[in-house]
Amino acid sequence: MPKKVTIFTTNTCGYCQMVKKYLGAKGVGYEEVNLDLFPHRQAEALSLSGALTVPVTVVTKHDDSQEVIVGYNLAKLAPAVA
Amino acid sequence: MSDDVQAVPVHDVITVGAGPAALTAAIYTTREDIETLLFERGVIGGLAAVTDKIDNYPGFFEGIEGLTLADNLQKQAERFGAVIEFGEVTALRDEGEFKVLETTSGTMKARAVLIATGSDYKKIGVPGELEFYGRGVHYCATCDGAFYRDKTLVVVGGGNSAIQEAMFLTRFTTHIDLLVRSTIKASDVLQQDLQKYVDDGKITVHLGVATDEIVGENNSVTKVLATKTETGEKLEFTPDGVFVFVGLLPNSQFLKDTPIELDEVGLVLSNEDLQTNMPGVFVAGDIRSGATMQVASAVGEGATAALKIREYLEDRKHPVQN
Ligand SMILES: Cc1cc2nc3c(=O)[nH]c(=O)nc-3n(C[C@H](O)[C@H](O)[C@H](O)COP(=O)(O)OP(=O)(O)OC[C@H]3O[C@@H](n4cnc5c(N)ncnc54)[C@H](O)[C@@H]3O)c2cc1C
Repeated sequence: MPKKVTIFTTNTCGYCQMVKKYLGAKGVGYEEVNLDLFPHRQAEALSLSGALTVPVTVVTKHDDSQEVIVGYNLAKLAPAVA
Repeated sequence: MSDDVQAVPVHDVITVGAGPAALTAAIYTTREDIETLLFERGVIGGLAAVTDKIDNYPGFFEGIEGLTLADNLQKQAERFGAVIEFGEVTALRDEGEFKVLETTSGTMKARAVLIATGSDYKKIGVPGELEFYGRGVHYCATCDGAFYRDKTLVVVGGGNSAIQEAMFLTRFTTHIDLLVRSTIKASDVLQQDLQKYVDDGKITVHLGVATDEIVGENNSVTKVLATKTETGEKLEFTPDGVFVFVGLLPNSQFLKDTPIELDEVGLVLSNEDLQTNMPGVFVAGDIRSGATMQVASAVGEGATAALKIREYLEDRKHPVQN
């Protein structure tokens, strides 16, 4: 289990729901930053991911290293939160 | 899981995909105690879940948000015991009574399989499109539209999806140039809706305009180069981003090494029982050759396929004696 997971989302984004559903199914807790509610945090998502898209999932490991996963990418998300 | 043959998990039914067709099939099968596993590599609810609003699905007189409909279908299927696996089916073969599926969760067997994989968005195939993917080039309005608040966009495409998504994107943008290679192919209702946005100055439609290249620098799109197909005149647009909706590509690549018959565009052929030429393998929804590409029809086909799967499984449990 990672130390912390943060997901940048928007209200209408189906792939964001999938990241949340996947983490929920695996029992991994997360913090959600909804960019529709907090548009000023868009720049943060962009600088982390280099992309104008959501979901952006930031996985902080126990050694405080971070992995940033852009989109709903199970091949990367599954091992990152295992 | 109903039993175990040589350590490979065996299921009564596996659906490839968990869009409206497969989720409906699973509601029907699991409600009749036919154990069912659904494989979903993308979004549960399929294309319906990444669509802002479904306006013509019966029973919701004011329309329903795609995500809400998808969530409801998932909950209903899970209420009867359907299990959804997060992963992809990559190959399928026939071993008679059992169908063997290669998946990202390992090899699995099923007594019956439902192919309900729908389609994915096509790319235009022009320079810059892949390079700026996610950094100015997008295929999902409900995901990425919010990044274009008070900005301008180019939308490429002239079918139902392009028109519907362009109208959705106007809630964020100040202006959209809609580039249509030939003429608009959307339904009359959508064309009438579009006219309101054109009259309001929110969308400008450019008919007979082919997109040639997406140009950018420093991680963002700066220009879209295009050509008027009739005159050859070169056009230049300077949007903040580009959304592409130029049609759909059937998700049947995983069937390429199987004897399952496809039509000329890659959709799966079936008989009147929605069964493919591989016994025990059924097909429903957008991926079926002849489908009408609507949620209501996908749901109807899902129900039909489930009932036909039940008959197929019953026939094998109690073979007719001559
Ligand atoms: C922009 C847009 C707007 C639309 N608006 C409307 C509308 O207003 N009204 C309406 O009725 N219809 C609308 N549609 C059409 C509607 O969304 C589809 O007809 C419907 O979703 C089809 O359902 P399906 O279950 O057949 O396929 P899909 O919804 O495409 O679901 C198939 C699922 O299978 C998954 N999959 C594919 N391959 C694999 C694999 N190998 N392994 C595991 N999973 C796999 C996919 O990820 C997908 O989630 C719209 C479509 C679009 C694109």
